[in-house]
Amino acid sequence: MSGALVQVRGLHKSFTRGTEPIHVLRDLTLDVGYGEFLALMGPSGSGKTTLLNLIAGLDQPTQGSITVGENVISEMSESELARWRTRHVGFIFQFYYLLPVLTAYENVELPLLLLPLTKEQRRKQVETALDLVGLTDRMTHRPGQLSGGQQQRVGIARAMVTDPELIVADEPTGDLDTKSADAILGLMEVLRAKLNKTIIMVTHDPKAAARAQRTLHLEKGQLVLDTALAVGARGA
Amino acid sequence: MFGMPPEMGMSGAFDTSMLQLTGYLFAGLVGLIFGAILLGLFTLPAFFLILWGADKVTSAAAAATGWFPLKVVLIMFRGLRRSPLRTSLTYLAIFVLTLVLCLIYAVLYMIGNATSEKEANFKAIVTHKTAIPSQMPAGYYDDFKRACLESKEMEGMRPVRGDKDIMSWSFVLGTTDKVNQRKDTMVFLFALEPDKVLTMMDGLDDLTGDELDLLKRGCDAMKVNDRAIVMSKSRLKLLNKRVGDRIKMHGLNYQNILFEFTIIGELPEGKYEGVSFMNKDYLIKQLEAYPRDKENNPKGEAHPMLEKCINLIWVKLPDKRAFETLSGLVNSGKFGRVPIKLETASSGIGTWLGAFKDIFWGIKYILVPAMIGIMSLVVANALSISVRERRTEMAVLKVLGFQPRHVLLLVLGEALLVGVLGGGMSAILAYGMLGSFKFQIMFFGAFFVPINALIYGPLLGAAVSFAGSIMPALSAKDVKVAEVFAKVA
Repeated sequence: MSGALVQVRGLHKSFTRGTEPIHVLRDLTLDVGYGEFLALMGPSGSGKTTLLNLIAGLDQPTQGSITVGENVISEMSESELARWRTRHVGFIFQFYYLLPVLTAYENVELPLLLLPLTKEQRRKQVETALDLVGLTDRMTHRPGQLSGGQQQRVGIARAMVTDPELIVADEPTGDLDTKSADAILGLMEVLRAKLNKTIIMVTHDPKAAARAQRTLHLEKGQLVLDTALAVGARGA
Repeated sequence: MFGMPPEMGMSGAFDTSMLQLTGYLFAGLVGLIFGAILLGLFTLPAFFLILWGADKVTSAAAAATGWFPLKVVLIMFRGLRRSPLRTSLTYLAIFVLTLVLCLIYAVLYMIGNATSEKEANFKAIVTHKTAIPSQMPAGYYDDFKRACLESKEMEGMRPVRGDKDIMSWSFVLGTTDKVNQRKDTMVFLFALEPDKVLTMMDGLDDLTGDELDLLKRGCDAMKVNDRAIVMSKSRLKLLNKRVGDRIKMHGLNYQNILFEFTIIGELPEGKYEGVSFMNKDYLIKQLEAYPRDKENNPKGEAHPMLEKCINLIWVKLPDKRAFETLSGLVNSGKFGRVPIKLETASSGIGTWLGAFKDIFWGIKYILVPAMIGIMSLVVANALSISVRERRTEMAVLKVLGFQPRHVLLLVLGEALLVGVLGGGMSAILAYGMLGSFKFQIMFFGAFFVPINALIYGPLLGAAVSFAGSIMPALSAKDVKVAEVFAKVA
């Protein structure tokens, strides 16, 4: 599939607990297109987060390959993955994970520190990202001085600031009230629609999943339902 | 129960003096540690003020230059603010350790200095072989001088400046108030030859400017007026006297001798604290006048101290060969009416310190490493708690693209910042404090913390922080992102 940003082929991931192997993902194959907003759903322990981590280059598969854009990330070393993540992936977490001792501006600037940018270029990118999430007036605030919704918006600005093609989000609305969750999902839709970002989101919330273009259901490490395919099948 | 076997040279009851001394030292150490903790607590606001200032400066520099390492240092500074209590405890541990070790270092440095041979300025000391304290007859001084300056054996090896390189000390203890013999009425003097003070006394060779002029003038005045004395500032203060005052002193080790002194000068601060210098001629005159003192000595006998009034004799020799020759001459008894011994000044002091050598060994090889070990554990404990609490944060940094080495540096850097700052502040305080108090231990001169401590203090802080933080830092470096998030979830 030439139009896919993410190509997952024959993916296996297993862990060992004591002497017993636990197969988290089994022979999983998946494509995610450029500019697609994909939701991953499934019960706890189904392997959603593991799949997300593997696609984002946070973990290595036991078997199979993962290609993101031109890069076969399943073959990269830890430090290569770290470098790759800085430029190509943005992360949004359920609990925001902002550094409490840094201001909103400094938190958003963090990933840019690793790139060869001038101070001016960094300032411009941070301000653009904060403007996008509507927090230019909170730049100097520390996370403790912001609401949950605002912190998540800072988290989105941080994910966006390096202009990555892929954004992964692990339960981004899981810790927010309905109104804030709605605003965050709206923001993610904007990222996809206006900036053509590819977004993969893990969620338990069907309402959140409904905002995505496609939803994948995982169970026991295997893909059991692809809503896009299901719609296609029903249509046929 | 505690009796020593006779073969150990201490038959009968157990000699408790060393035990007592060890007890005093232990109590002193505990007191020192508590004092250091208190001092550390007082300096905590200054420590946080410096951190805050450094944070602001780094922040401004990082904003102006955008330089990555500065940003990392900024994150380190901010990291220290995260748990002020833990940062304070780490600082306190390093502060106390450095302060105590600075003081121990100062003591060992002073002893090392006093007991190391000085080839270029070879000083020897003559003492009585058996009497403690050493006491020799007044006349022996002349015998010894003859051995040095006139004997054939010393040909070509004589003291370079002749008589000026030989000096005797007599210790004179007295009180200005015979009835109330208190600390503030006591006077302790070295009776010596005033014209040799500047050339023969240790620790005066670094005097310059006014201090040197004043002492020179004092010594000149002592030559003209044998009742003139120069006194240390601290003793003047204690006696509530000033330069120009006259005092009457009743001899305590020179019983029934009354001295009348005029204080004509002060000793420079930090030099021979608590001591005064008097002209030896006046002491001899008073001893010789004693038989005529009908009131105290109706039988007209010679004063018993006349045969015991020289305590030490110092001699400067050109080299070790001269020392060995003179030593042979002294030991041969040819010039001695009393059993005496000749040692190098350093070995003389070394012999005197011999009784304490086990204690010094214990301090150097057990106490110091134990303290460093314990403090490293304290730092390691504080840091590993900090790292455990921040595993998610470390994982987030890795997610954002920070390399494992960046994470390692962040943890090490935080520890090193506290270590260097704590060690530095402690060393500066120890150096400054002792430098201004200028107190003296025995005849070693003013006790001071060597200036090297200003380098060793921060280095020690850094080393302890490094030792304590390396394991937590390695564990932070190896944080597995997926595992951390899985646990959080």
